[in-house]
Amino acid sequence: MLETLVIYVFAGLVLGGGLLAALNRQILYAIIGLAVSLFGLAGLFLYLGSPFVAAMQVLIYIGGISVAIVFAMMLSISMSVRPRERHPGKFGFALLCALSFLIVGAWILHGAEFRTVEQAPAAAWSLDALGHALLNAYNLVFETLSVVLLLAIIGAILITRKERALQ
Amino acid sequence: MSLDAYLLLGLALFALGLLGVIAHRNLIAVLIGIELMMNAASLNFMAFNRYCVTDPTTGQIFVLIIIGLAAAEVAIFLAIVMRLYRTFRSIDAEELTELKG
Repeated sequence: MLETLVIYVFAGLVLGGGLLAALNRQILYAIIGLAVSLFGLAGLFLYLGSPFVAAMQVLIYIGGISVAIVFAMMLSISMSVRPRERHPGKFGFALLCALSFLIVGAWILHGAEFRTVEQAPAAAWSLDALGHALLNAYNLVFETLSVVLLLAIIGAILITRKERALQ
Repeated sequence: MSLDAYLLLGLALFALGLLGVIAHRNLIAVLIGIELMMNAASLNFMAFNRYCVTDPTTGQIFVLIIIGLAAAEVAIFLAIVMRLYRTFRSIDAEELTELKG
């Protein structure tokens, strides 16, 4: 009973934060909405059986990415400037796109049938199994991801560096 | 919650992200919409991983990789935003029309 209540609270956090993030025109509030939504998602991951992924979600997404977006916002736009008025036609178009996507997706989901299985035993969910899979079967993906991250760091430094006259 | 409820929640989150991407002109707001869409995808992966799969490590690794790629993407995106701001004094997607023919 309490468990169900907690899950619905997390699902509500996901949706409420998502609404705040998608609709608010003050960027700082939108980022706070994003962080709330990500936190709710981390709670759902916890319930879906993976405490490790939930912890990574909180550490990397909320602690890293949201904070980086806040820094970029403070460096690029003045916080005192009011955002420009919303263009009603464009907003209506966006609403139409999102609603039709939602309706079509719900219709497909209504017709689909998934064959569910019993939850795997606790040993398969352990961090041990995850680490072994990451460094054996999925080693190539792991290494590729590290190279991608390195390239992203170098690229970000190169893009933001100050222009200097060519010698 | 059942599998369908999780999928519906992921669908709603993706639709919200789509709304944010299309409706906003500020590039940082667009980035926030993209993040919402990626998280909807990871919620779907975790739900299928829990309810439909016998070996649950695969979905978790998918989600970890999504998180890592999102970090790389955000780094590049924010670098481009900073550069645009320094060059054009604006990060409004409708004012950045240098490439318009």
